[in-house]
Amino acid sequence: MMIKKIVCLVGLIPLLAGVCTARAWQATDQERARERAKEVVPFVKEYQDDCQISRRICLMDAGVSLDDVKEVYFLLDSPIIKEREDHYEPVRFAHKRHAALVNDCSKCHHFRPRDENALETTRCSACHQDSFNPDHPERIGLKAAYHQQCMECHQQEAKGPVDCTGCHLKHVPDHKELVKLPDNPDPIQVTKACLECHDTQGEDMLKTAHWLWRGPSPYTTGHRKDILHGKGTTALNNF
Amino acid sequence: MPKKDVDLKLVAQNVGHSSRATCGACHFNGGGGDAIKHADMSRQLLTPDRNCDIHMGGYDFACAECHKTRNHKIAGKSSSVPVAEGVVSCEKCHSDTPHYSGGLLDHHLNDHSRTVACNVCHAPVFAKCKPTKTWWDWSKAGDKDREVKKDKYGQPDYNWKKGEFKWEESGVPDYTWYAGYMDRVLMGDKVDLEADVITLTDPVGSINDPESKITAFKIMKGIQAIDAEHAHVLVPQLFSADKDNTTAYWKNLDWDKAFQAGMKAVDLPYSGDVTWKETWMYWRINHEVMPADMALSCAQCHESLKGDQTCNRCHQDNREVDFKAIAQKGTDFSYMKSMGRDVDHLIEKTDYINFKALGYKGDPILHGGRFKKLPMEYKTQAD
Repeated sequence: MMIKKIVCLVGLIPLLAGVCTARAWQATDQERARERAKEVVPFVKEYQDDCQISRRICLMDAGVSLDDVKEVYFLLDSPIIKEREDHYEPVRFAHKRHAALVNDCSKCHHFRPRDENALETTRCSACHQDSFNPDHPERIGLKAAYHQQCMECHQQEAKGPVDCTGCHLKHVPDHKELVKLPDNPDPIQVTKACLECHDTQGEDMLKTAHWLWRGPSPYTTGHRKDILHGKGTTALNNF
Repeated sequence: MPKKDVDLKLVAQNVGHSSRATCGACHFNGGGGDAIKHADMSRQLLTPDRNCDIHMGGYDFACAECHKTRNHKIAGKSSSVPVAEGVVSCEKCHSDTPHYSGGLLDHHLNDHSRTVACNVCHAPVFAKCKPTKTWWDWSKAGDKDREVKKDKYGQPDYNWKKGEFKWEESGVPDYTWYAGYMDRVLMGDKVDLEADVITLTDPVGSINDPESKITAFKIMKGIQAIDAEHAHVLVPQLFSADKDNTTAYWKNLDWDKAFQAGMKAVDLPYSGDVTWKETWMYWRINHEVMPADMALSCAQCHESLKGDQTCNRCHQDNREVDFKAIAQKGTDFSYMKSMGRDVDHLIEKTDYINFKALGYKGDPILHGGRFKKLPMEYKTQAD
């Protein structure tokens, strides 16, 4: 154990750093999705202008089913969008789950490339790339396409998030310049500095169970209307 | 207050989203150390194996992605403490019909989802990455000379401060009916001194209630002190930062003084007459969901499907479907064993959740179950 620690400390030297980082843990599915999200595929210039019904019939006739869903999960994090602006964290998209729920691939895969040799379905980002492309003024950009597709369906079905933070986490702004503190501040100074901007959050925090160590107990029989139980007051344990 | 050598300016300049590491700093160490209290949370979840937890190990979920916050109130309903500021459920993302492989089983599995909580099949063992404490006998504490033995997992069986322990790794949960509510013994509540076991957290549910589901729990069992006259659970003072303290148990090894001080602190009477009773706490298994292909198979619970006759009890099929394969494919405990887990005794096991203990006459395929008996099918009509 000690030896491992020493190796990792020495690893700070650039030459050896690779040895330590190479062994770094990765969440396999997430990492694969992250790699895939980085890909930019060739732009499909011409598409087949079907109506949704004929598209659906086409897909049904081709026998496309859930079994054809090769990618279960996507991370929506395209460099096409990030190049213009990058305020939010990527979105997790459960592709197969949506395919099973919607049960109609044409709802999202609403056109196909005109090229007869192309597959029946294609990525969103094959047709929708940068916005305001003067050669294709009819084509909305990828960011708009995602938002329109997801939010409209979620609204129609009254299911799924329609607000920003329902899908995204917001990037945390770099606080290196924002935090104005002297060197070696004491804890009270730090809290004060946080509250200069985050006073509402400070007020909120004071009302939480994590601060008070007690709170509402709506799922405890006989105490469903109470607000005073918790580790700081009445909770018992045997450990 | 933070330790003196922490550079708080550096910390403040690097604020960010919460993570498994920030939440886990407390929650992975409940009960006094890694994996002790929770059956399904430990420091393993900082960098978990995919097979250990598909959400965190496969998809790198942070706690707050499920435990959504609003105004800093964090959703989540603990088994052990009464507080709840919102609820997290598998169904919120996976819906009430979570099985959608397109295979023949989907229909049956989605039926099961109304009677069986997800983790019964999808987390068939708890503490699968790290042993957790399942027995804690406080009455044995205080013997500084007692030799501490290590169990097969390398965990100690004794600590003079805390008493005697048992640990389990890859443990089979206890299954009981649960519909979301808990009966609890809170501080000062009267307990039954005649009962064999006093249950401090007890899931509410019944086989006859359509909302109740068979749910997986770790039961933390132990022996602790009860006031024999007032019939309430005693709270000892265990430690004190005060050098001259004469009451804390870990300083003075005197239970009587520790109870006097503890009960005074919580403002409850103490008679001096102490009885040591067995107590249980039900802890729901919520985390460490395994990948779908490691869920229990039909035959691992339904003994009637273990033989040659399987789906063809009811279904005829001439599409060359392999019924046996469908009914018997599931968690491969021999695979888990090969990965170093202590699951030898589970290979080839059936009646995994113990139907009789749940109130069935036996395997519901043979003896009948809730699907037809309860008004579950007809709920929408009644509304």
